[in-house]
Amino acid sequence: MDRLAGGDLGALDLLYEQYGAMAFSIAYRITGDRSAAEDVVQDAFLGAWRNAGRYADARGSVRTWFLSIVHHRAIDAVRRRRPTVELPDPEATLPDTLTLPDAWGDVALRLDREAVQVALSRISDVQREAIELAYFGGLTQTEIAARTGVPLGTVKGRLRLGLQGMRAALLPLDGGRGGGGG
Amino acid sequence: MAEHTFAGLTCSDVAELAPAFVLGNLTPAESDAVRRHLADCPELHAEIAELNSVVPALFEAVEPVAPPAALKDRIMAAAAADLAARRAAAAPTVTGVPAPAPTRPAESPRRGLDLGALFRRPVWAAVAAAALVAAIALGAWNVQLSNQVAGLQAYRNGVVKVLDTAAQPEAQLAVLAAPEGQGPTGLAAWGADGNVALVMRDLEPTTGTEVYEAWLIAGTAAPIPIGGFQVGTDRTGTFGTNHVPLGAGVVVALTLEPTEGAKTPTLPIIALGTAHAQSS
Repeated sequence: MDRLAGGDLGALDLLYEQYGAMAFSIAYRITGDRSAAEDVVQDAFLGAWRNAGRYADARGSVRTWFLSIVHHRAIDAVRRRRPTVELPDPEATLPDTLTLPDAWGDVALRLDREAVQVALSRISDVQREAIELAYFGGLTQTEIAARTGVPLGTVKGRLRLGLQGMRAALLPLDGGRGGGGG
Repeated sequence: MAEHTFAGLTCSDVAELAPAFVLGNLTPAESDAVRRHLADCPELHAEIAELNSVVPALFEAVEPVAPPAALKDRIMAAAAADLAARRAAAAPTVTGVPAPAPTRPAESPRRGLDLGALFRRPVWAAVAAAALVAAIALGAWNVQLSNQVAGLQAYRNGVVKVLDTAAQPEAQLAVLAAPEGQGPTGLAAWGADGNVALVMRDLEPTTGTEVYEAWLIAGTAAPIPIGGFQVGTDRTGTFGTNHVPLGAGVVVALTLEPTEGAKTPTLPIIALGTAHAQSS
């Protein structure tokens, strides 16, 4: 990351080799459009290129940091198609005083896609749907409620239980290392 | 849990919003309020951290989709252009003349200047990036720095020639950069008819009989010299010749030779890049 912050194009090349395909997959999953996904990925890499100096080890792995940028920009792109929705702050981050234990930020490095799919299969269909609409669809809780025809409180409950269920399913797969600060 | 109120939210409010907060789908106002509450109230940090810890794993649930091959080239070209623009913005200015304000660093070149259409087209990507550098730098540098302006004009003219060549069907384009990442940059293109156009900037001026020699390196074959050029105080070099196309994946390299007519390259390599066919 120091090399990237120092303007080393080789470091950017390496970052792309490591995360380019996954970044495109995430952007395409969210936007559903190859051209839009390309723009998102380009924006994300250039954003990382220009803001690498703001990356801090304590806040998580490079992978989580970078793919979160991709996610953020892809959701931004989707929401721009819906002008009635408030756009997120592109620079928003968690407050510095909130130090999140990142043991779990790196969990995905040790879990393959199949394992995560298994964990997702352990939660209910409606919980999984709510999480996917929220995380990959960029829908607000109110929009999810309207889309799925259930009360807002039910959506909130499904998101919480779904995340907790995933965590419970992933913990054994990770050897119980995910402390999460809880 | 003790109930506190910060940023207009109670701890219960924040706990209720926590799942949507970690998934990033609160409204900006809600999200900001949660952040401000958390900044002042540690009570919920552990719960937020637990929920947040699952989120990175969601990336693994995404079905893999291969990106287009040209995307990496486009990103690298845009980053190279950004790097050159940074250097131009940081260039020394004449005493008493303030340096121009750099463009907003966090924005992509396509934003604001609306160059998205250019950058979405592989054939223009590197050329547009180079032209952007020239445009930014031309606007930024003081007119009294005539050598630099002359260099930029020469570079821009060279870019136009590369653009013309790269626009031909089945043309190939290489973005040249110093192996160490810091140093001269440029572009080379050649068409199916064998016409080659090359433009470089930030080269050290040649002296005496020195020439910059361009080489084509195909696989493990010996480098093929295709011609050389000298560079003046504008530090810009342009070059045109004709050579039988060698196909995609050929490396274009530049060396500084003591005299013209070199048969083997004199190390170090000043700049190099790999040629890629341009798809429409």
